[in-house]
Amino acid sequence: MKFSLARTALALAATLTLASCGGGGGGKATYPIKVNVKNVLYPGLVLSTNGMDVPVNPPATAGADVNFSFPNEIEYGQVYNVLPKGGDLSSSPVKYGTQALHQTCLPNTNYPDNLPHTATAGQLATIQVNYVCALNAYPLAGTVKGLTGTGLQLANGSSASVTVTPVTDSTTSKPTGADTTFSLGKVYWNQTYGVTVLTQPAGQTCSVTAGGDNGKGAGTMQDTNTTSSLTDTTGVTNIVVTCVNNASS
Amino acid sequence: MKSSILRAGVVALACALGLSACGGGSGDLNLTGYVYNVTKDGLVLQNNGGDDTAVTSPYTAFQFGNRLSTDDSFNITVKSVPSNVASVSDCVVANGKAHANYYTIGQISVTCKIRQRALKVNVNNLTTSGLVIVNGADRHDVPAGTTAVQMAGVNEDGPYGVTVLTQPTGQTCTVSGGGNGNGSGNMGATEDTTVTVTCA
Repeated sequence: MKFSLARTALALAATLTLASCGGGGGGKATYPIKVNVKNVLYPGLVLSTNGMDVPVNPPATAGADVNFSFPNEIEYGQVYNVLPKGGDLSSSPVKYGTQALHQTCLPNTNYPDNLPHTATAGQLATIQVNYVCALNAYPLAGTVKGLTGTGLQLANGSSASVTVTPVTDSTTSKPTGADTTFSLGKVYWNQTYGVTVLTQPAGQTCSVTAGGDNGKGAGTMQDTNTTSSLTDTTGVTNIVVTCVNNASS
Repeated sequence: MKSSILRAGVVALACALGLSACGGGSGDLNLTGYVYNVTKDGLVLQNNGGDDTAVTSPYTAFQFGNRLSTDDSFNITVKSVPSNVASVSDCVVANGKAHANYYTIGQISVTCKIRQRALKVNVNNLTTSGLVIVNGADRHDVPAGTTAVQMAGVNEDGPYGVTVLTQPTGQTCTVSGGGNGNGSGNMGATEDTTVTVTCA
């Protein structure tokens, strides 16, 4: 299937080559590198290939795609590799390169837009590279102190909730009250969060005592990636929930 | 490719010979799919009006009991929905009707819409500006003199937790009410909920 498609493309490319020879130049066929980028909300993205850099700014009409071609065409047989400038999507960890503010733009993986961002000119009849941008989301997490009872549930509004179980001694299986961490998923950039105690644990009362912008577990998520790699994003991890035993009656 | 053609041929031959397994039930294709926005028991799916299959915890996928053979037609419909979904039409099957092959049985999903309940915040004694309240990502600026704020709807059976993001100038506001008394709780199945913010 793939082979026959490639063969058709080659045949087409050969035809195009012949046609372009009609001018008498005798040069190789050249190919424009066309690019489509969806969901660009903020400026900053720079796409690069073959020594060319093109800044990708948000479209004039919000929600529209951004379409452009790199300034120079490349010749048959040349390799193109369209990446955010300085990025390397095959490295580990991935280097995301020069990205849009608050967003991460990657090659589109949705059919039928999932065309290769790197290949050799002439493999396909035309070169089309598609990117799509998504708003960054960062972790919301923290620590529970003094938890010995079971049943504690924490929530971030209606966005996420989590059950936190106490740390138990490995030999006695009794709760130790040691610090334990929790995660409430990810929060998009510029979205608000507010951690609350949804359900109190048995025999204890817990409250949010620190963390977030206001020191009480609420805030607005800001960008927390310090380099172009999103793997070092920390998000908000300083939420503290403190539990105390209920007075025995 | 070749094997499926071969299999189709064999199945057709088997059918022509009057053998069983033509109506589905003992083929080698599992009829499966993903499920979205389901939080509790109650979703029951049918294929061709039978083979009732309940979607159970963790409510992310389904698999019918009867397997299909290549080219068997399937038609997945919703028989019943969880109690927090308003009607059968609120669970929508995508790509649920086709002839079975490796491609078509990998494209099926069911997405439900959970009933929304109103979350209202009553505000007492707010005399200055600057108050911001949030229910997670749902943010509301509350001007001086406001007595009530309608928050975004909350999924029935889903959690909510109203907190003060920013205190107003010169006042301190505290949150009370809701299911657990501190502005949080799980949204009830029958009533809408009111949380109270009191400023002093």
